[in-house]
Amino acid sequence: MANRVAIVGIGQTFHKSKRPDVNQAEMANEAVRAALTDAQLGSKDIEAVVSSNMEPFEGVYLPDHWMASEMAACGKSGFKVATGGTSGASAVVEAFHLIASGLASTSLVVGFQKHDTGDTQAGMTACMTPVFGSGATTGAISEFANQALVYMEKSGAKEEHAAMVRLKADRGACRNPYAQLKLGLKGVEEILSSGYLEWPIRILDFCPQTCGACALVLASEEIAGKITRKPVWIADTITVHQEPFRAGSFGDPTGLETYSQDVASTKLYKRNGITNPRKDIDMAEIYEPSTWEEMMHYEHYHFCDENEGWKLIEKGITAIEGEFPVNPSGGVLSTNPIGATPVIRVAEAALQIRGDAGEHQVTRDVKTAVATALGGCNWTTMILLRRSL
Amino acid sequence: MEKEPTQEYIQVKIDTPRPYRWSTGKYLGKLYKEARDRKKLVTNRCTKCKELVYPPQMVCGRCKVEAGQDWVEMSDKGTVVQYTYLIFPRWDPHRGEYYSSPYPSATVLLDSGLYLRSRLEEQDTKKLKRGMRVQAVWKEKGRGRGQDDIEYFRTIEELEVGK
Repeated sequence: MANRVAIVGIGQTFHKSKRPDVNQAEMANEAVRAALTDAQLGSKDIEAVVSSNMEPFEGVYLPDHWMASEMAACGKSGFKVATGGTSGASAVVEAFHLIASGLASTSLVVGFQKHDTGDTQAGMTACMTPVFGSGATTGAISEFANQALVYMEKSGAKEEHAAMVRLKADRGACRNPYAQLKLGLKGVEEILSSGYLEWPIRILDFCPQTCGACALVLASEEIAGKITRKPVWIADTITVHQEPFRAGSFGDPTGLETYSQDVASTKLYKRNGITNPRKDIDMAEIYEPSTWEEMMHYEHYHFCDENEGWKLIEKGITAIEGEFPVNPSGGVLSTNPIGATPVIRVAEAALQIRGDAGEHQVTRDVKTAVATALGGCNWTTMILLRRSL
Repeated sequence: MEKEPTQEYIQVKIDTPRPYRWSTGKYLGKLYKEARDRKKLVTNRCTKCKELVYPPQMVCGRCKVEAGQDWVEMSDKGTVVQYTYLIFPRWDPHRGEYYSSPYPSATVLLDSGLYLRSRLEEQDTKKLKRGMRVQAVWKEKGRGRGQDDIEYFRTIEELEVGK
């Protein structure tokens, strides 16, 4: 039986497109300090540090080595995790394992990415197998554009629905002090007049490239009981892999992540007694790089039936005040420092459970929340949080 | 009191290329050899589940067994199952070049049952559609880059059989 693990400290930086005033280490340190302050712990109280960053985007080799001091890692155990888009979620899972196994009683997760350093889309294109498939795909936008087109034709979703997803994200972001893009959009018309990057993805259909960091302090039940009245428990986690970058694998001709998302959510729900996700879970923070992807994820994570994802957004079900809020923080569409992005999903879901999300606190009382991550090569990671176990 | 001067934020620019030499390996190497020598795509079929493994590799993801040496030559004709095109230019570090609009890319279902990601020749975006029939056009002088030596897929007209 695994030991119980709680999130006892949450901290993030203000997110911006450029941070010429700091280097990676100084930026990550802002989140580390914020999380330790929130946990009312000092760096000496942390036993292990797990960091998350994708090196190809900054071109900085082993950043965890040269920023050990700023991450409170000197003289401690820990490691860096890099699993593409899921890196931050993988780091949370590993930090959770350290305590669940009894090897540590406290651990610190530090996710960071400084996107103003290099060309992220070029880095992403280079993530294809080293010698194979170059030129066939052009970064993340191309992947999601392909999927969006298929979804549009298959489900009957219109560009207006994609615009509604951005509008929802923007309303959340404008209430979230940490979010990067706060556009103050008035309506879908404004979004539908934004230019296309790649058919049918408009610039406002896609996430930005962000500089930012997010840190979490995890603790054993014993420590959590001493330092906080509002622990958020990690009830379960799951990671599922898929054959990388292969359309057609596992009977999925479109190359969507349906296989890994379906396996992950089915298993996670089953072993946690979740039969009706929208009823048994109170809110979700999902990794949605594009507006279209969010509607598809509603279906892949079984928040609704197939081809019904766009109806959830149309009916306002996933709005902040809706029946099943999704990404009230503004989500990835508003803020995307990749190594930190899934850590932010967990952080935001935990804030909702604590009731500490401030202006973007959802209307529904959140006792159970789920955070998800997706990433090359079509991995899925899900983390289930609860107010009490 | 004297006001502190604003600090100048220094950034170091790094733009030097880094050369690499990747080993293609026992399985992928066959694809590269056949593409270079015969302008053909080959891949292996899992000896257990009989499904195509692509790009060729040692282990079948489904069966978790050694996929084996059942090599199959792929058809160069296929059907577009999904596509997109650029509107905003994009940098590709593999080729060291910018792709400019429209640069249509697509997933093509080859007649031999393989889903392949590649580019399309058709530059008129109004003519792009799912279900269109296409055929691979190889570069005259390939760079030994395997599938990447397919220049693009060209739209083809086919006589309907049985009419």
